[in-house]
Amino acid sequence: MAGISFAFAGSPRLDRGVARHYGARRFGRGAGAYRAMSEGEPSDPLSRLGEKLDRARSRARAGGSGPAAEGGALGFGLRIGIELIAALIVGVVLGLTTDYFLGTRPWGLIAFFFIGSAAGVVNVFRAAQGLGRGGRPPGGKG
Amino acid sequence: MSGVAGEGSNPLEQFVIEPIVKLHIGSVDVSYTNSALLMTIAIVLIAALLIGGTRRAALVPGRLQSAAEMAYEFVAGMVRENIGHDGMEFFPLVFSIFMFVLFGNMLGLIPFSFTFTSHIVVTFALALFVFALVTAVAFVKHGIRFFGFFFPSGAPVVMAPILIPIEIVSYLSRPVSLSIRLFANMMAGHTMMAVFAGFVIAVPLFGFFPVLINVALYGLEVIVAALQAYVFTILTCLYLRDAVHLH
Repeated sequence: MAGISFAFAGSPRLDRGVARHYGARRFGRGAGAYRAMSEGEPSDPLSRLGEKLDRARSRARAGGSGPAAEGGALGFGLRIGIELIAALIVGVVLGLTTDYFLGTRPWGLIAFFFIGSAAGVVNVFRAAQGLGRGGRPPGGKG
Repeated sequence: MSGVAGEGSNPLEQFVIEPIVKLHIGSVDVSYTNSALLMTIAIVLIAALLIGGTRRAALVPGRLQSAAEMAYEFVAGMVRENIGHDGMEFFPLVFSIFMFVLFGNMLGLIPFSFTFTSHIVVTFALALFVFALVTAVAFVKHGIRFFGFFFPSGAPVVMAPILIPIEIVSYLSRPVSLSIRLFANMMAGHTMMAVFAGFVIAVPLFGFFPVLINVALYGLEVIVAALQAYVFTILTCLYLRDAVHLH
């Protein structure tokens, strides 16, 4: 909920009355930070560009670190929950369908309910396993 | 966010599908709805972005070209990273899915518009398409060996009667989880915003407070919109990789 804290952090500045060039000050700060960051690099624009290109290329070759996978704990929790529920839904639907066509009234549902639960746990296990490897497959084997 | 909550208005009202042009083929209702309108707008905007961005391609890109190239590079990187270089044959498909979902999510954030990705029919149709395609690709590339996918290598054969149904259900649950994830995220966020908008009227004196929260929520929703488009696409890539490389 970074957004909320931003809203509050921003509001006291509004009524201070010193209001001078919000945008410009911000921009200046950003540019300063950038300059500080790229300190110690050759000042020659061409070689700086060359270095930037090298960095971009190596990033492309290494396969990139990728954006922060799935945005935090809430996203991860939701994802795990959905994996579990989805398999359960599929299991129950398969069970009901089996019962409907084969006339095995409760047994298909019972069997597929348990299979669905097991598949849900398998899904969750795979999703959790993939967490450390930067968003690797929830269904991948390998 | 069409449901700018008036008195006693329903936060779910924003998800109502309204026919704009009523059409019937036989007994099938094929009306042109607000959902279809937003899809059309999304496609037109995507086409405009890409055509406009590449029409006058310059060495130093302009704003439009820059946006188009960023989108291309982003998806191309994702495909290369997750499927591999031979996966670039799927790039047009993955790119289309990404742009469609992204624009659907983003357009839904414009007040009084409609979020077509907040309907499970839409997301499930997309996910089912991906699922069918992945299965077809796996069959074409590997033929009968595809069924080996349902038996984890190294497991004792005695376990097969238990493991194979579990693996099949797990495989079948992919389109379900893919579609539920997108639909639930979009619907939950938009409902939450409408509920907080309703509080503005419900709380007479401190009405500004829900507005502040809504501003924050709106920012969060922009992130969620982009993130869910990314997640949908990357999962498509991962499924395609499973199909291409199988294990």
